[in-house]
Amino acid sequence: MGKTNYMRLKGSQNLRLRLLLSTLSSTPILIEDIRHEDTWPGVRPHEVSLLRLFEKVCDDCVVEINETGTKLKYKPGIVVGGKHFVHDCGVSRSIGFFLEPLIVLALFGKKPLTIRLKEGLGLKIESRGAPPLGGGEVVLTVPTVHNSLTAVTWIDEGMVKRIRGVSFSTRVSSQFEHAMIYSARGIFNRLLPDVHIFTDHRAGPQTGKSPGFGISLVAETTSGCFISVDTAVSHGREEETGDLGDDEKKELIPPEDVGEQMAAALLEEIKQGGVVDSTHQGLLFLLCALCPPDISKVRVGKLSPYAIETLRHIRDFLGVTFAIKPDPTTETVILKCMGSGVKNLSRKIS
Amino acid sequence: LLQRTSSRQSANLMQLVYGIAKSKSPTSVGSKQQGSSEDDESDDEIIRPKGEGRKKSSELLDPSDVNVEDCSKLKNKADTENWKENEMLQSIRDRFITGDWSKAARRGHVSE
Repeated sequence: MGKTNYMRLKGSQNLRLRLLLSTLSSTPILIEDIRHEDTWPGVRPHEVSLLRLFEKVCDDCVVEINETGTKLKYKPGIVVGGKHFVHDCGVSRSIGFFLEPLIVLALFGKKPLTIRLKEGLGLKIESRGAPPLGGGEVVLTVPTVHNSLTAVTWIDEGMVKRIRGVSFSTRVSSQFEHAMIYSARGIFNRLLPDVHIFTDHRAGPQTGKSPGFGISLVAETTSGCFISVDTAVSHGREEETGDLGDDEKKELIPPEDVGEQMAAALLEEIKQGGVVDSTHQGLLFLLCALCPPDISKVRVGKLSPYAIETLRHIRDFLGVTFAIKPDPTTETVILKCMGSGVKNLSRKIS
Repeated sequence: LLQRTSSRQSANLMQLVYGIAKSKSPTSVGSKQQGSSEDDESDDEIIRPKGEGRKKSSELLDPSDVNVEDCSKLKNKADTENWKENEMLQSIRDRFITGDWSKAARRGHVSE
């Protein structure tokens, strides 16, 4: 057994990014001080579940967690992929928490991945569930990258040509959805007639275990950009870290307000003028950095804190530094990078 | 002058992203001198009450808190009232196909 050189990291922050980049760059990591000063120290259930998920889709990956859960060793394996996976995500975070890293990971797998993610909160959505009890289920299918991704120049954000959306509700009246849609449309229709928001009211076994509702909105532009926002409203889980202060059960936000807030949030994202919305900046940078050694150039709005974290991790794991230049006339930011040339190693070996 | 300010701005952005963040840079097992400085910084964290600190930092993404919640979503606090105003809507009118196409086209050109 050769000695393993671990990259040393601290804290639970950006665990998903770290596991993902560690795997793609074959860099073992050692994370210390995971909530070591908390009343409830160590890794959380969703983080353990995430590690199990990585174990599931990878071969030969080694996870070691110390007794208190404050220290974590991760030695990446080979991304295999495959069909008929089932993973129980638990209910401490939404399925989206698991989806984000999984999608990128699966692109670099040996075989295309099909996985059924259970128990989280609402691809193909089999059933939806809201916190605290969850009960949602999604099926995700991701193809693999055959050789490598292709570098892009993506700086034309285009003009918004239509807005689409889906509202959903579980264990509440479908009136909630109509109220959300009505108020959101009220704002959009002053700018654009082409607005369609579909409803997805779930009943019976597909409705999960707790009441909740939400809406996701997507603006499509003439240049093929998708700018999206979404939200879900429910009785959240009290964190295990014990915020005992919340005495009475909070009332849910009225659906009219949710509709308006999300419409405003989408307009805000459109105003930013990037080719992706602020939530997906990090994903975009990640994919650029994973490209073959060609120049990618993308335009985004104001950099989100998560995107900045992503840029830093990309530098640390892949050695890719972006040239970041503000574009004062449009108040956007142009990022350029040379791809790291990460190949689909798993495929090559086979 | 414009060029100069813009180049300075870009330097600032690069600095903002890559300049700080000492604690996140990789430290291989071999190099051990790093440890001491990071201990200092965690000292003040002991003092503050845990529950409180967590709650605030999760909103602000405080870079010194290494246990910040892992969430890609930006809680975009759009001002709903503002977006009901006509002025605000006018400001992004040309970002829609219902707006002024020539203006939008110019926008693309200038920035390239």
